Amino acid sequence: MKKSLKIKDISLNGDVPITELKIDELLPLPPPYDKIEEQPGWRQITEEQKGRIVCNLDGVVGLSLPRPESPEEEKKYVDLFVTGMQKLLSRENNWTFLQPLLLSLEYCAKCQTCSDSCPVYEASGKNDLYRPTYRSEVFRRLANKYLKPGGKLLAKLNNEEIELNWTTISRLYELAYRCTMCRRCAQACPMGVDNGLITHELRKLFSQELGWAPRELHEKGTMLQLKVGSSTGMSPKVVKDNMEFIDEDYSELTGFDVVTPWDREGADVLLIHNAGEILSWPENPAAFTILLNAAGISWTLASDDPAYDGVNYGLFYDDVQLARIALKHAEVAKKLNVKKIVMGECGHQHKALMTIADRILLGDMNIPRESSMTFLEDLVFSGKIKFDPSKNDFPVTLHDPCNIVRNLGIVEPQRRILRYLCPQFREMTPHGVDNYCCGGGSGFAVMSQNNFKDWRVAVGGRKKFKQILDAFADQPGPEVKKYLCAPCSNCKGQIRDILDYYGAPQKSGIIYGGLVELIVNAMVDLKEPFIKWEH
Amino acid sequence: MSALVLMICAYAAIVIFVVVVAYRTVKIAKMPVHLRWELAPVPHEKGKSAYGGSYLEEYERWTRERESSMLNEVVYMAKEIFLLKGVWENNRGLWPFTFLFHNGIYLLAAAVALIFVSAVMLLFSSPLTPLDLALGLASILLIAAYCIGVAGSFGLLVKRYVDPDLRPFNSTSTYLNLALLGLVFATGLYAYFSTADYSLELGYFARSLITFSPQSYISVPLGVHILIALIFLTYLPFTYMIHFVAKYFTYHEVRWNDRPQSEQMTRKLNELLQQPVSWSAPHVKGDGKKNWVDTATEEMKDEKKSEN
Repeated sequence: MKKSLKIKDISLNGDVPITELKIDELLPLPPPYDKIEEQPGWRQITEEQKGRIVCNLDGVVGLSLPRPESPEEEKKYVDLFVTGMQKLLSRENNWTFLQPLLLSLEYCAKCQTCSDSCPVYEASGKNDLYRPTYRSEVFRRLANKYLKPGGKLLAKLNNEEIELNWTTISRLYELAYRCTMCRRCAQACPMGVDNGLITHELRKLFSQELGWAPRELHEKGTMLQLKVGSSTGMSPKVVKDNMEFIDEDYSELTGFDVVTPWDREGADVLLIHNAGEILSWPENPAAFTILLNAAGISWTLASDDPAYDGVNYGLFYDDVQLARIALKHAEVAKKLNVKKIVMGECGHQHKALMTIADRILLGDMNIPRESSMTFLEDLVFSGKIKFDPSKNDFPVTLHDPCNIVRNLGIVEPQRRILRYLCPQFREMTPHGVDNYCCGGGSGFAVMSQNNFKDWRVAVGGRKKFKQILDAFADQPGPEVKKYLCAPCSNCKGQIRDILDYYGAPQKSGIIYGGLVELIVNAMVDLKEPFIKWEH
Repeated sequence: MSALVLMICAYAAIVIFVVVVAYRTVKIAKMPVHLRWELAPVPHEKGKSAYGGSYLEEYERWTRERESSMLNEVVYMAKEIFLLKGVWENNRGLWPFTFLFHNGIYLLAAAVALIFVSAVMLLFSSPLTPLDLALGLASILLIAAYCIGVAGSFGLLVKRYVDPDLRPFNSTSTYLNLALLGLVFATGLYAYFSTADYSLELGYFARSLITFSPQSYISVPLGVHILIALIFLTYLPFTYMIHFVAKYFTYHEVRWNDRPQSEQMTRKLNELLQQPVSWSAPHVKGDGKKNWVDTATEEMKDEKKSEN
């Protein structure tokens, strides 16, 4: 590992990675995952890939940026980067985050108080490249040098030299996707500087000015959602068909008459799932249907696009896309004349629609919005349904999705449910607003190009995996079945990949799932267990 | 040493300091309302802030009264400002130096305030006992400030230089800021021990500033100390060291800003949404004429949609 990386190194030697990751330098894991030779590691980028796409950061490529064909093309993008910086710091083009961005750019003391709070930095064996401050300092120096009057002279005098060239912007683009924007660093900063926000703004610059964004978040994410209705590619007809299959399956499995209502005008609740649940974890929407019907709630799903998919990847990289999707979600709710929208178990959906969009949805578009955590808590303790906690008598721990807990402060409702319904519930350390990100945040969970998935699991999710193992350290073997509750779709995707990567279901007996599945599993009226241990 | 020159420098430094700090404060305050970006824990959440909970934990919160506590915010900030709680919890190796450094500044600021109080007393021929008390207390604060300030600033300077975690991020101004402030404390320390009735001398100088009437003479050590302090005061507002102002905004306007829309905010947001967008990416196509509303409500066409 290259120690003491200098800020100006980002501009130099553009054909080779700026740092190298070694598996034996990563954060150690507890047994039986402690043997380096048994750890899967990550795939190397092939020579063919190197000839085609930019690979100059850390040997990992998540974005597949094509190599430029000519110096003119390089210059075109460098020039766009400069205009992008100008727009990012302008009132007209970036009123949405101008004040937080400028505060974070201008008042960092560079004291590195934030570094150790970053799970990626720690898991990497404290590689300088992954410091929360590294990419921020690069951006800060570029903005100071190329936008401020006398910036070039001041950069020289102040020994803050940095060059803006193709190497710098191509590395910075890839580096903007080595931070999960979990904002643990922002919590640690005594100044209130937010390096997660700077990452967010950098991603916006690349997307909104250069047209650069990860395929999974843009073409296959927000664009697909805006065109078809869902980032899964499901059209309204397909999603209704799929839910109908799920209803049939779970009617058969549970003996309940599982019927999901669609497009009921005037319903009390419009429930918006992350559509990924319908495809990958059908037990989650099925559990919601069972529970809400059993409690006699007036509720509905919407088949108007894109309101059957709560995903809003715009949150991670693009304000325009964020606003387009949030407005459409609200429009459908307004059309159906529902009393409130309830977020499914999806963290970024919570943040995008509950707080971020709160200053986009004006007038009668600002329909009340509720978290599924508070909604489910009210339902569980309402007395409408009988529960038997002994049905959940197995070790359970809780992963706190950053977007629900650290960013929204929704901490206790889900815990009150678990303490009531799960006799063997135990916390991770640390937990609540001090939790560690799963490593799939900010869109990473759906990004898997080249060897990026290996990195996000082995480095990005390493700290979380250690936390999970530590939470079950009293019963580590596979003979005791354990449940990791992760009430967030993207977190579940990442946790699935982590557990599979290490073979943890087989070696440690750990399965994962949402919150609502545990609630349904404890229903007295349910004859057979809802939770299936074979994953 | 000429007191007149020092007085002129003092007026200039104070004016520059006040004007630049005010300008930068107003500039931050007048930035447009931004999208919500709060971060737990939010201390004004009454009954919930201890574990980081927020009002979003309330079922159908829009039907309930919000409870908040200003006192929690004050306690949180006091711990942060005086004890540097964040650094203590997250960067223990830096904490002793930064704790001494910052508290040296606070003590110096408190001592200067007391010196001016003493100057007013001198002006109105105050009875000796309260004057002696004020000067005596100022004297204690000054020596404490100088001692811990020297330790803090030079300690930080060395730490910044030798620590491989910090060094790559340093610039010339990083060292200059610390050296200059260290010099303020060090010259103060020297002046303190080489001037009889040190705080009284300072009181006389403050009185002359208030009355616009220069003293005949100021000792060289004291004069040098005052001059360096004034240079620092002039330089300070142009640096990131005015984070004592910015910190109010990073906390109250960003981290803890969970205000729902009000009528006034909605009006401002409507104005902001009318602003032109000129982002160039193909999916935005901002031409500088379309505004945010047009851009956000633009339909994305899909030819395949009808097939499904």
